[in-house]
Amino acid sequence: MIERVRRRPGSPLAGVLVAAIGVLFAAPLIYLIVRAVGADVRLAEVLSARTTWLPLLRTVLLAGSVGATTAVIGTAVAWATVRCDIPGRRVLRALAVLPIVLPSFVGATALLAGFSRGGLVADVLAPMGVESLPRASGFWGTWFVLSLFTYPLVVLPVSARLAHLPAPLEESGRLLGRSPGAVGLAVVWPQVRSAVAAGTLLVVLYTISDFGVPALMRYGTLTQQIFLSKLDPSTWLPLSLVLAALALIVTGGERLVARRDLRRPLIRGSVAGRTDLGSKRWMVSGLLVLLIGVAVVGPLAVLISWVVRGMTSGSKAVALRLDVTDLTEPALSTVTTSAAAALLAVVLVLPVARSLARRNHRSAAPASVLVVAGYALPGLVVALSLIFWALSSDVGAVLYQTIPLLVLAYAIHFGAQAMRSATVATEAVPDRLGDAARSLGAGSWRRFVSVDLPLLLPGLLAGGGLVMVSAMKELPATLLLAPAGFSTLATSIWGAYEFGSYAQMGLDALALAAVSGLMTWLVVLRRTESN
Amino acid sequence: MTLWLNCHYFDLMILPESPRPSQKQGILRRCISRWFEARPAGDRGRARGRDARPDATGESGSHRRGGRFGALLAGVAVVCAATAGCGGTDSASENASETTAASGSKLVVYSGRNEELVGPLYERFEAATGIDLEVRYGDSDELALAIDQEGDRGQVDVFVSQSPGAVGYLTSKDRLTPIDQPVLDRVAPEDRSSSGNWVGLSGRARVQTYNTTEVDAADLPGSVFDLTDPQWKGRVALAPGNGSFIDFVSGMRQIVGDDRTKEWLAGMAANEPPTYPGNSPILEAVNRGEVASGLVNHYYREIAAQEDPNLAAENHFFAPGDPGSILLVTAGGIPSTASNRSGANELLAFLLSEESQRFVADEKFEYPLAIGMAAPGSLPPLTDLPVTRLDLERLGDSLTSTIDMIRASGLQQ
Repeated sequence: MIERVRRRPGSPLAGVLVAAIGVLFAAPLIYLIVRAVGADVRLAEVLSARTTWLPLLRTVLLAGSVGATTAVIGTAVAWATVRCDIPGRRVLRALAVLPIVLPSFVGATALLAGFSRGGLVADVLAPMGVESLPRASGFWGTWFVLSLFTYPLVVLPVSARLAHLPAPLEESGRLLGRSPGAVGLAVVWPQVRSAVAAGTLLVVLYTISDFGVPALMRYGTLTQQIFLSKLDPSTWLPLSLVLAALALIVTGGERLVARRDLRRPLIRGSVAGRTDLGSKRWMVSGLLVLLIGVAVVGPLAVLISWVVRGMTSGSKAVALRLDVTDLTEPALSTVTTSAAAALLAVVLVLPVARSLARRNHRSAAPASVLVVAGYALPGLVVALSLIFWALSSDVGAVLYQTIPLLVLAYAIHFGAQAMRSATVATEAVPDRLGDAARSLGAGSWRRFVSVDLPLLLPGLLAGGGLVMVSAMKELPATLLLAPAGFSTLATSIWGAYEFGSYAQMGLDALALAAVSGLMTWLVVLRRTESN
Repeated sequence: MTLWLNCHYFDLMILPESPRPSQKQGILRRCISRWFEARPAGDRGRARGRDARPDATGESGSHRRGGRFGALLAGVAVVCAATAGCGGTDSASENASETTAASGSKLVVYSGRNEELVGPLYERFEAATGIDLEVRYGDSDELALAIDQEGDRGQVDVFVSQSPGAVGYLTSKDRLTPIDQPVLDRVAPEDRSSSGNWVGLSGRARVQTYNTTEVDAADLPGSVFDLTDPQWKGRVALAPGNGSFIDFVSGMRQIVGDDRTKEWLAGMAANEPPTYPGNSPILEAVNRGEVASGLVNHYYREIAAQEDPNLAAENHFFAPGDPGSILLVTAGGIPSTASNRSGANELLAFLLSEESQRFVADEKFEYPLAIGMAAPGSLPPLTDLPVTRLDLERLGDSLTSTIDMIRASGLQQ
């Protein structure tokens, strides 16, 4: 069951393929460099300005804190919902990943509205003598909301890994008289560490790229500066390059640590055990309910209250599209494009992940860093870069503003989410199985389909699921690259938000939460549910 | 089931006016050509009632029983269905017959103005002229960036901007072509570009929107410069990154000069204003009483009042001539790569017609700009208003330095 990962020579063709995939994912970065070189850019001026360094420091501080917080919460949630016999486990497991289904600006707006004066929560607390709640803002507000909405990025990959840790591993620990916590630390932690790092890296990169939450919380990160200077390329180009450099440093750093971890054998089995938490099981469930209450039920309740308010006011300017068919088209568009994007992303990153895990191509490590780091670039930059690349050739011009290019944009933007899960999954596939299949005369394709793929599936689905959920709520690239008139739930939400119709926004956001939550459950959670 | 889902999904994208492959062509070929059809949807709206079926969620469950690879197969099916599945339906041919025999011309519109605000006008234009519009809605600034990035390969015929800044940006990049004089002449000279590159379509006044229980109307200042007073500390919300705010600051610079503007920005920053990403979040916060007041465009309050009859927010216009109540125009322009310039001029003329201007005023509470049009009934007439007209041409040029000024002021932390 235990197998050391060995270095095997790979075919040169596969090496070229891996390098090509890396270049594809670097398209937005290359675009930034090409434009920065070609244009009149105030590189030195911008880089030395206080308005660059201070926001950069804030971004680093925020990303670090949110990353650390979500690593703890995410791992704990995954462990409790996958490996413990807590009451209501399956339901809690499905609900605990829901915070990522809403675009962060919607979740943050709803949360702020709920807690501030005149909001839902404040109204509930008012009879108890609570006059006013402090407005969440600044560093702590941003930290709180982002942690609350991004921890599922850690939960999904860690759950996928935990689901396939064999029970005997923990049972031996328990037989030696250790407590569940001690067993977790000594036996389970080394096995899930790479998955935790993978998820945390995604959180850090997402935090770097996010605009909505820091803007609502008045915390001036680097991304705020980029959006503020949107119409001044001589400023936003160098700022975006700084952002990209930060992302590359973080990702490269994580890669170095992960590489050390590679020498450690990963163990997998088909049976997952459940730890008996005894009397603490109710307490753990209670904590999860509290978390879900704040991160999921709270925002959703505020959205519902907006819908109700809008419906009961009998307004003439706001004709709510209550007809289900009006939500069906955006919902179908959302589901199909994002599912295609998830599939494409997984297909693109799998060769890189396999090559990385087997360490048989030099191009694998840089390619994987490029795939992952791109996640930190704002969606607007990704969209503009694809306009640039598509229109730079006749073939691309044909594809411009068609669904395939939009799907490619999603895959490039969110491929990072599939990348790390795929790498972790590939690392856990023992080479010995492939050798056995080879000795039985199985060809490479058959070996992959019948031996590797079933073992890889939970990790790939977790990664693909993340890509799908992200693509469902993607906005800037959808607005610029989709065919004209192509509306998704995210574009509907945005339109209503811009217009100021909170009722319509609430309705569309609830639809997105429902569709996205259901897809996550069907594609990811049910698949990683062992037994 | 997956096949079904994709069939209908692609049906929804079919364009009445796009070249329709004949029935004799192979299924695969038809589907591939449909996938790569650029800018399919002529039907801009939400195809109401067409192919109304249960939502996507119902059928997804059937993947599950497919054994271990079920989910993967489902994923593969998405792609397979995309190429093979859509051939079997009849609605393709049905839709093909809908093709309008009219002029056959079309216009590509990038609209920074919200679908809720202008969608009905575009529909009326289509009905009146038989010209099909392919409208892409988005953020004005981002659409302007896209037009600039598309460069010579761009196919946009009309750009409609929410703010002067975005058209100013395109002017500075030399991406716009002059509009026909008769169209320009529909508005007063101060509401259009002197080079004829763009024309104002409607106006929004900057106001201080305030919560009626938090602020006594008697305490409201006559000038936006009074808001740097300590009594307003933490009580005036701003959206420093928002296009309207940036244009407002540009306008202030033209009226009172750079030094006074910098002073005001620094004074506001010292008052620690709560900041928000845009106008509508500010209005929502003012209405809740989270913040006492905020600087926004006037019509957000009017729209919100329709949805929430108990709205606690009211608009305050500053004294005559004060930069605080500047009039910001929404504008239309024709990109220099436009292939249908006559149609583009026709659309701009339509947006400035009496019918459209009345719609903008009566339904959307904005100021009409066409000469001879009256302001919305619920608002003070434009002539009575302390609105300051901007030199639109200069506005675009000063964009970069205004952004620098706001960044340096510390308003956007």
